[in-house]
Amino acid sequence: MIDDLATLSRILYSPVTVGLYFAAAFVWLYALTTTVGRREEQRRGATARRAAWALTVAGFVAHLGHEFARGFAQDRLPLGNMFEVTSMMALVGVGVGVGYLTFARKRSDLNGFVLLSGGLVLAFAGLMYAEPGPLMPILDTWWRTFHVSLLVVAMGIFTAAFVFHGLYLLRDAADNAKGPPKDPDGRSDDGPSGLAAPGGTTGALGDRVIDAEVSPALATAAAAVSDDDRTAIKTRHRVERAQVSAWRLALGTFLGAASVSWVFIVSADTAAAGWGRFLTINVTLAVAALVARWFTPFLPSAATLEGLAHRTIAFAFILWTVGTIAGAMWAEQSWGRFWGWDPKETGALLTWIAYAGYLHARATRGVKGRPAAWIGVGAFVVLMATYLIANYVIVGLHSYAGL
Amino acid sequence: MGWRWLVRMRTALILLGVLGIMTAIATAVPQAPNVPSTVDAWLAGEEGPGATVARVLEVIGAFDVYGSPAFLALLLALYLSLTACLIPRIRAWIRLVRHSRPPLQRHGPGLEATTFATDAQPATVIDRAHEQLAGRHWRLRRSDDQPDAATGQPLQVAAEKGLWSREGGSLLFHLSFYVLLGAIVYGQLGTFEGQRGVIEGAPGFADTEVSYWTYRPGRWFSPEDHAGWRLDLEQFHVDWIRDPLAPGAGQPTTFRSDVMITPAEGEPFAAEVEGNRPLVVDGVKIHQLDWGYAPWVEVEVDGELVHAGFITTVIDDEGVYVGAVKAPAAVPDVGLEIELFPFAPDGDDGLPRLTGAPWDDAPLMVFHQWRGDLQLGATQQLITELDTDRLDLVGWGFMRPGQQVEIEGVTVRFTELRRWVGFQASYRPQIPWLLFASALLVAGLVPALYAYRRRLWITATIDAASGRTLVTVDGRSFQRPEAFAVERDEIIADLTRTLDEATDNREVLS
Repeated sequence: MIDDLATLSRILYSPVTVGLYFAAAFVWLYALTTTVGRREEQRRGATARRAAWALTVAGFVAHLGHEFARGFAQDRLPLGNMFEVTSMMALVGVGVGVGYLTFARKRSDLNGFVLLSGGLVLAFAGLMYAEPGPLMPILDTWWRTFHVSLLVVAMGIFTAAFVFHGLYLLRDAADNAKGPPKDPDGRSDDGPSGLAAPGGTTGALGDRVIDAEVSPALATAAAAVSDDDRTAIKTRHRVERAQVSAWRLALGTFLGAASVSWVFIVSADTAAAGWGRFLTINVTLAVAALVARWFTPFLPSAATLEGLAHRTIAFAFILWTVGTIAGAMWAEQSWGRFWGWDPKETGALLTWIAYAGYLHARATRGVKGRPAAWIGVGAFVVLMATYLIANYVIVGLHSYAGL
Repeated sequence: MGWRWLVRMRTALILLGVLGIMTAIATAVPQAPNVPSTVDAWLAGEEGPGATVARVLEVIGAFDVYGSPAFLALLLALYLSLTACLIPRIRAWIRLVRHSRPPLQRHGPGLEATTFATDAQPATVIDRAHEQLAGRHWRLRRSDDQPDAATGQPLQVAAEKGLWSREGGSLLFHLSFYVLLGAIVYGQLGTFEGQRGVIEGAPGFADTEVSYWTYRPGRWFSPEDHAGWRLDLEQFHVDWIRDPLAPGAGQPTTFRSDVMITPAEGEPFAAEVEGNRPLVVDGVKIHQLDWGYAPWVEVEVDGELVHAGFITTVIDDEGVYVGAVKAPAAVPDVGLEIELFPFAPDGDDGLPRLTGAPWDDAPLMVFHQWRGDLQLGATQQLITELDTDRLDLVGWGFMRPGQQVEIEGVTVRFTELRRWVGFQASYRPQIPWLLFASALLVAGLVPALYAYRRRLWITATIDAASGRTLVTVDGRSFQRPEAFAVERDEIIADLTRTLDEATDNREVLS
């Protein structure tokens, strides 16, 4: 029975959930490209979105099923080792990301990026796969449930925010292609300088200034487009993409990922395995960045993406704060000291400082916009680096035994 | 530089960045207060990036980041910058809360305003809008309240919300750091922490200054502050998943001490100390920190007993419990290096098989016997290690409980095996204050990130052409435009519904 559940959870994890997430991401992204074009293409887009929803829901349900099967197989909450935490991080990222985009922001067309990153995080978890097993008694307390769940949820949401920041940086660079930016309101929702005036009764969209040719929201309403227009559109898409050099983007992503994934080289049993993981992660992320670059012309306005990133970080920051405080309270209960500068504790603090830096930067004139977004990206690198380093490289009280 | 430099947000960002870099260093480099042995290994070049780099790290204070003068200076700068930022903000905030009223819109609605027509009278519209917004806790001002209310001007209600909650939350969040700092400093002064090992069934220890093995009192904590209770360990329960094929094999499953507490005043009582469940006696928390096996070892030299007692052994990296016997009563001194293998069953050849298993089903003690000068009091020594500089190795042997081995006139007896537990007693009066600071921090953080300041103007005029009332709703949000757009639509829908009920007729013009 137990073994069956363990096997079921493994199969549900891979290939089922991983496959469904990537398939859903692929179909969502395809649907994004059909919003500019002929009527028949738009019809295909509607079909694609239905299929994408089916795949997304199936993937999410399979993922939930995996977590439950694993939980029952080992008779505990599946948040006990690196694989489980990372898998849960993907589940939360996908759930909150898709839910927030669809219901709060009415931007389900962006779901593809959330699913793509969710699939990548989940596949990444596979590099740390561990068979189900029981928990050390010291970890068997509701304190852990509370503390770890909050931090894992925050990590998942920070991941979504990282994706929005990356897309924002791409979109913002593309906007510069058209000379002076068409967005007069590099709108912030911080600081009294930006007296933003939301208009119309149209709904909850943050981007008031919509580039009709670019934004899928209005383009859908546009009628069929002639072949000449199509050529023009394609040319403009190429120009927008060209704003970010593919080589620089790929190399930058590779190096950025390497700043975290070196952990696998250091901690692997054999050099080949370590370098294999290192290269797999970096190349995959570089390819993902190139895919995102290709989709730049179909993205919503830079202001919308920036707003999405900020709101998600604001939410996750509160969770991270409460989760870290809960960790200190647990430490006082369990180890007899509330804060001991253990590597994981300083790591959590460092992540907190990095995101606090982002929130302050965004409220600062002259720093908000691209510099703030880069700080947000850097904060995510800090999050991943401290997560991996404190578990794999430095042995501290928090290091998971046997990973 | 100077005051203006200090109050700039950019300065705060730079200081936060420096704090981040220091924390990054403290994450990557082992910290002496936490893991002194790792720091020593780095300095010796046995671990880490090599002795030369370690030397540089030591010079710049990277092995004790949070104790370094640079960190203190940064902390001072951060709090100075924080104070400099907060003083004008608090002043402005108080002014805002006390005196601010929503401004009337004097130049007509903006481009984004919504207008609709209704049969209700302008005064009714304004009354209803006023009621509805008051129900939603907006600050309100009506144009007909004005002493200088000009006749002929359209009736208007101006509303504002989120005026002080966002900024107030941000201020509360930042002010909580003073409480946090105060609590930490108070904790450094008023705290006490002591550690002591206790053997099962043997006499325990009393809560007094001298009975702790390590003793760290705060400056304000005096020896008279000890309550003077007494702790004895009845039994320590520990077990593991013993099936090597089971998932999680070798992991501990139980970790519990049955103790007897004798308070300074009152009857003794039995209690349990477990992981995550410390025992609280007279405001002092008692934790299990550590445990190991404690064999009773007797040493006889030429028929004379020179040592008899429990040895506390600690587990090493290979899973062996190591300890030492130091018997200066013998001439010359006798020293024993003890290695205890808790599970070493006999093999087919009758010789013990060493396993890494930690349960004591077949304990085996291996010892090395040294003679010479133990240098007790002359060199720094751990109780579990011998300083063998002036000792000569005589021989070695192994035995099971109840057995004895004689080497060159020295008889070593292994009588019984018990366990010992390392307890920590700590008194931290700052904890309630830390919790209070954390509560303030979170209570401030939520509105600082979620509240948003916005204004709304509802104007009602008679349309000369149709004779109906035109209602204009205009609004602005300082933050979170997307949330405000939703709220604004709700308010318009609510207002039109109320007016519909009043007049049963409505028509949207734009």
